[in-house]
Amino acid sequence: MLSLLIFLPLIAALFILVLPSRFQQHFKYITLGVSVIQFVLSLFIYLKFNSFAFAAGINKESQYQLLEKLPWIRLNLGNIGNLEIDYFLGIDGLSMPFLILSALVTFVATLASWEIKTKLKAYFSLFLLLNTAVIGVFCALDFFLFYIFYELMLLPLYFLIGIWGGIRREYAAIKFFLYTLFGSVFMLLVIIGLYFSVINPATGNHTFNMILMMDPANYADGSIFSAIAAKNLFGISARLLAFIVLFVAFAIKVPIVPLHTWLPDAHVEAPTPVSIILAGLLLKVGGYGIIRVCYSIFPDSAMLSAWWIGLIGVISIIYGALNALAQTDLKRLIAYSSVSHMGFVLLGIASSTIEGVSGAMLQMISHGGLSAMLFFLVGMIYERVKDREIANFSGLAEIMPQFTAFVIVAFFASLGLPGFSAFMAEAFTLIGAFTSEQVNGLIPRWMSVVASIGILLSATYFLWTLQRMFFGQPRLKGAADWLSKLSDINAREKLALIPLVALALALGIFPSLLFDKMNASVVAFVQLISGS
Amino acid sequence: MNEYLPLISSSINDTIASLRYFQSEATLVLGFLLVILSDLFLSKRFSQLSFGLTIGVVLIVMVQSFAFLNVENMPLFGGMVIMDHLSILFKILFCLVSLLFVLFIRYNRSLLLHEKGTGDLYAILLAVHLGMNLMAISANLLMVFMSLEMVSLGSYLMVGYISRDQKQSEASMKYALFGAVCSAIMLYGISLLYGFTGSLYLNDPTFISGLNTIPPMALGVSLTMVLVGVAFKLSVVPLHFWAPDVYEGAPTPVTAFLSTAPKIAGFALLIKFIVLINALDHAFLDIKLIVASIAIASMVLGNFAAIWQNNIKRMLAYSSIGHTGFMFMALFVAPGQGYNALIFYMFIYVIMNMAAFLIVDEIEEQTGKQNLEDYRGLGRQFTVLMVCFVFVLVSLTGLPPTVGFTAKFLVFSTALDAYNSSGSLIILVMILLAAISTLVSLFYYFKIPLNAYLKESISSDVKIGHTAKAYLSMFMAFLLLLLLVFPSLIQQFL
Repeated sequence: MLSLLIFLPLIAALFILVLPSRFQQHFKYITLGVSVIQFVLSLFIYLKFNSFAFAAGINKESQYQLLEKLPWIRLNLGNIGNLEIDYFLGIDGLSMPFLILSALVTFVATLASWEIKTKLKAYFSLFLLLNTAVIGVFCALDFFLFYIFYELMLLPLYFLIGIWGGIRREYAAIKFFLYTLFGSVFMLLVIIGLYFSVINPATGNHTFNMILMMDPANYADGSIFSAIAAKNLFGISARLLAFIVLFVAFAIKVPIVPLHTWLPDAHVEAPTPVSIILAGLLLKVGGYGIIRVCYSIFPDSAMLSAWWIGLIGVISIIYGALNALAQTDLKRLIAYSSVSHMGFVLLGIASSTIEGVSGAMLQMISHGGLSAMLFFLVGMIYERVKDREIANFSGLAEIMPQFTAFVIVAFFASLGLPGFSAFMAEAFTLIGAFTSEQVNGLIPRWMSVVASIGILLSATYFLWTLQRMFFGQPRLKGAADWLSKLSDINAREKLALIPLVALALALGIFPSLLFDKMNASVVAFVQLISGS
Repeated sequence: MNEYLPLISSSINDTIASLRYFQSEATLVLGFLLVILSDLFLSKRFSQLSFGLTIGVVLIVMVQSFAFLNVENMPLFGGMVIMDHLSILFKILFCLVSLLFVLFIRYNRSLLLHEKGTGDLYAILLAVHLGMNLMAISANLLMVFMSLEMVSLGSYLMVGYISRDQKQSEASMKYALFGAVCSAIMLYGISLLYGFTGSLYLNDPTFISGLNTIPPMALGVSLTMVLVGVAFKLSVVPLHFWAPDVYEGAPTPVTAFLSTAPKIAGFALLIKFIVLINALDHAFLDIKLIVASIAIASMVLGNFAAIWQNNIKRMLAYSSIGHTGFMFMALFVAPGQGYNALIFYMFIYVIMNMAAFLIVDEIEEQTGKQNLEDYRGLGRQFTVLMVCFVFVLVSLTGLPPTVGFTAKFLVFSTALDAYNSSGSLIILVMILLAAISTLVSLFYYFKIPLNAYLKESISSDVKIGHTAKAYLSMFMAFLLLLLLVFPSLIQQFL
């Protein structure tokens, strides 16, 4: 089932590659079809998903659902023993929501791909390859496999930004690539180190199984990452160093301040559908990695670093929001708002309370939908007049009333209006961060207080933008020419936006749709990391 | 004189018994003669005869080598050569390179159209192949020197085979001069070692005990002198300076060959010396530190210098210095861990390096472009080929979804495990620098797709059809993807 979900886009990509170019107008329908099938499949998985405590997953292999495990690489490495790499997939409550999100965001991004007019064959095959990689990351439970999917995301994205991007696309593409690779090369070393530390009790071989890595009992005596041996590297604890390396690798993806500078460039230069994927899915890979890998494998180091992670979260929230206030380019503004909103994810995770982690998860799903929506809306303006400077527009509400309605929904949902998903997510995150001092003493109260200022700031920049661009007298830089081009929203665009609005509303009013499914896993996760 | 008479019959018996294991070398000698003769007398009538013969010979050698795949430590000809599993693996590697090289020559226009014809080149190749085979199995310093010289002489001829212009003559002259100097130094080192110990057999107990008794300084100097000859073949820092000029000046197929086969043969030799050095018990003679510094210097210098290159062949030359450094690291950590990771890396390196040069050559022949900025917009002209090139480059960088990642990963694994068991800081530094140079290598490798796809096209959009060489490189790029999923295709032989 999961393999089907992962490799369906890859098969479609190969199919597109062999089709002659004269069918190129149909490629987008193939891609759309794939994303619809994925969506139906993932909904089916969601409905069938077992949310009882005995199916919580996290650190118990038997509790994962839809497991697939095949031996893959077995190389005899002399006295190290056999290399044991499995093709190992499975989901629990922390990965299942991302499958739905992936399918939905891909669907929206495909609809946004209508604006791509050149080199369609290459575009859609890379797009589908990217989709394979993203879903693979969320399903992989073997660290080697996880890393392959994780790196596989880079290549298509490099070309998608680099070929179909804006003016400074070469710079943005290589910057993005180098930033991410910087994190992941060192992550590879940690993965290998973990491999040599962990022994599969069933076979006696070293293993890449992530679930086995979560159990301190599986670490070999005296191995480098063994919690009992407590080895040092460069004067600090090896486990803490490994945690920091992994955290930096994923945090570049999230992104955190000060490792965020690739994001605005990448977003501004990327074409709309790629921005949607980038904000909607790839940033979540970072958050998911922190939960699944950093925290679950190195809970002890995570507890030690909680204060710093919380601080980074708060700084990201405030710094991102302040930057967003200062932007003149609408897309850049939204890119910085992503930095700000993803800060809540970090804060929630750092609090290590059930409320905080649930809030972080909900925030990722909610922001995935909302950022997709925001970038789609920006893309609509840009597609029509090839401009998105805030100062060049005014009074759009009269020119494009329906479009403005969607913008208002998206903006209000993003700034945390009750009734929308972002409110629920941010509220839970703040509750978690606030109670943390009492529950486990990890995060001081002032952090949640400062973070709530971030919500205020986000209200400021969203409302200010709304006022500058959409209200007031209609006044456009391109005058009559633009006026004729700025047609209101069409059916395709509605089709893309309505599911996203529905998601934001559904999760805002019935957050239990998500909470119920993942609660058991969140509880197990918090138990694992707090060691109780 | 008379006291040696009884020994004659036993040594004859030994030689005759050894011949059975020497089939592949015998085939090479026969093939060499056949190719020369056929080129002399029959090349007018059957123009492709020497090509066919060479391919046939290489394939036969491959089959013959496979037959002894699981041979265990077999001394032949009175211990002059020792055959074991590892040396057979090297022989198979050489066959793979030769095979690709022959196909490369066959489809290279500048060599084909040259008035000398390609017949002699095939003959030289077989001679060099023989030399490399002997390098892999030699266990005697004289044998080592002889086989090394055999490879060197053949390589000088290959580099200067066309000598179309001044640059190429300069390259071959440079190569021959530096090579001769290094060989001389090596020979001097060998004579010193012989003088100290009275033996030339590398695994002879008297040789090792003799080395243990001489002063460390003298030992260090003479061993280093011997290693200079090997390091020249490997083109590692600080003996790398000839590589970029020669690689740029030589005909592309020869460059592809030189940057793979002799290097691998050099590693085969080096393994013997590392085993020897490990058997010595000089505590304060830290020759290991020298090896580690060479590895580090090659990785760093090779990869950083490649950033500033504009000529693609020059860039690949520097990148191959970086790769050699990486293999040096694998070798350095290998004792105790086995050589599987190194051999696997070499197999993959052969495929990706040959593929990269094949594609560069194809592009140069079709369009005459060999500089980075000329590659602008080539993605439109060579649609499929350029995609394959991207995969090859991704593999050279060592990223998924190609087998280059698996190879790099295995080397990192052995290195980290070596660190884990020894705790020596130098290994950790080496690993970190290897990781950083991987990052750096991405930067220059990706200049090629950057120019080919991302920059505005300056050339026409006319698509260019595929030649046999293009199909060959596509097949190799496909192999790089296939081996990621089924690494056991290679692993089963290790």
